[in-house]
Amino acid sequence: MTETRTIDVGEGAAIPSKSDWGLFNAWTISIVGAVGAILYLILTQPAPYKRIIYYLADGVVITFQVTVMSILCACCIGLIVGLGRVSKNKAINLVASTYVEIIRGIPLLVQLFYIYYALGRFLNVHDLTAAIIAMSVCYGAYMGEVFRAGITAIDKGQTEAARSLGFNTKQTMFLVILPQAWRTILPPVGNEFIALLKDTSLVSILAVSDLLRRGREFSSETFLYFETYTMVALVYLVITLILSKGVSFMEARLSHYVRH
Amino acid sequence: MKRLFKSLILVAASGILALGLAGCGEKKEEKPAEAPAAAAAPAPKTIIFATDAAYPPMQYVNDQKEIVGFEVDVMKAVAEKAGFKAEFKNVAWDGIFAGLAAGKYDAISSSVSITDERKASMDFSDPIMSIEQMLVVGTAEKATDLAALKGKSIGAQIGTTSYLVIKDVKGFKAIKTYDEVGLAMEDLVKGSIQAVVADSPVAVDYTTKKYADKIKIAATLKSDKVENIGIAVKKGNAEVIALVNKGLAAIKADGTFDKIKEAHKMK
Repeated sequence: MTETRTIDVGEGAAIPSKSDWGLFNAWTISIVGAVGAILYLILTQPAPYKRIIYYLADGVVITFQVTVMSILCACCIGLIVGLGRVSKNKAINLVASTYVEIIRGIPLLVQLFYIYYALGRFLNVHDLTAAIIAMSVCYGAYMGEVFRAGITAIDKGQTEAARSLGFNTKQTMFLVILPQAWRTILPPVGNEFIALLKDTSLVSILAVSDLLRRGREFSSETFLYFETYTMVALVYLVITLILSKGVSFMEARLSHYVRH
Repeated sequence: MKRLFKSLILVAASGILALGLAGCGEKKEEKPAEAPAAAAAPAPKTIIFATDAAYPPMQYVNDQKEIVGFEVDVMKAVAEKAGFKAEFKNVAWDGIFAGLAAGKYDAISSSVSITDERKASMDFSDPIMSIEQMLVVGTAEKATDLAALKGKSIGAQIGTTSYLVIKDVKGFKAIKTYDEVGLAMEDLVKGSIQAVVADSPVAVDYTTKKYADKIKIAATLKSDKVENIGIAVKKGNAEVIALVNKGLAAIKADGTFDKIKEAHKMK
């Protein structure tokens, strides 16, 4: 039988505080409020709101698709860029750093236009693909910086210990440094996920029929601006809250570092 | 080195300050010059028109960053005849009606088609002219009606009567709505969509000027109703409507309207 020892790491990790009021916290209030508001509006005034929510439905799916695909791609790009940024190899380091500098220096909205309309002249990509590429490329650069910060935050002694135990550089990075770095990286990466989800609303300018575009189509036709955008805001809020809960669950799991 | 850096910052800062001061100075000089002129004669009423200036040839922004176009010229002539001052404000189409309802401007002069749905939430002037909906496709496309485009992607500007034409047509692969009609045309040229529905003046302009060799008009989409464009105002704003109608009647009567039409080579 292997003995399981739990090592508590206090600093920086999310641990339920003593003053926690149980269910009465900001997240629960927001989600209950948002879902409650949506249900209340649909049930009491089905005339506009039920129509709106039906109209928005396929937009939610598109927003979700763009978010999930972009998060996956951005994480991969981010990891590669982060590793590149801490690489001892000058050429790799330079390429990764230049990528970050260029992408970080261009607004996402401009990147979206650029990939779809400017590069679209030479390479015709589907609107959804263009949106996912632009979001991934942009957030890949941001996440690369987060990964780099997380990796460099790990004490040098860890590398030295791993190296003296006979791990090669690759093993040191993937078996020693990254598993520890992941813990510090997760909260800021979670923030990036949520920022990404909200920024997917920008892809509506490429005429991608996401949540916001559907809302705009509906309101520009019916002139029910107040009702439509209230619904759009509430739906975004619900999705964001669910995602943020997911991130904090992952944080909570990783705050205890279990070794066998 | 550090000193050099410091002095550089100083120079830059003083430069910015000087520019800022110069800017302030100019403004101050302008004001007193204007005031007496306005006091001398009773100031003509200024009507602010919102316009989506991305709609050539009706209204667009030229190289000098001025809002120009057929409808802009018409409204300027109307203003002259009816004795008010027309000011144009570039507003994105999507939300232009919400801004009117919120009182951010007095009227919309943006090739607004007069429809019953719109009449329910705003008032319109007399018609300026009538337009039609046209189907624009790539030069290689053989389809001459919507039915022949089944299974393909089609686009129009968001919230326009062009979009209403295709909104409920079944069988398209995708119906895309664009913020500006120009972006829809760009997507058509690029090949992302196979057809665009647009107002006739705009369709003619794009297919004869900008993308003359790439896109063409496949058909005029017949409707049993005549589609007129007019000036939209907030519900109940009879004052602006009266002024606009007065000016419109005057320029149509004395031939100014036809002259503007000719100058813009409108049919």
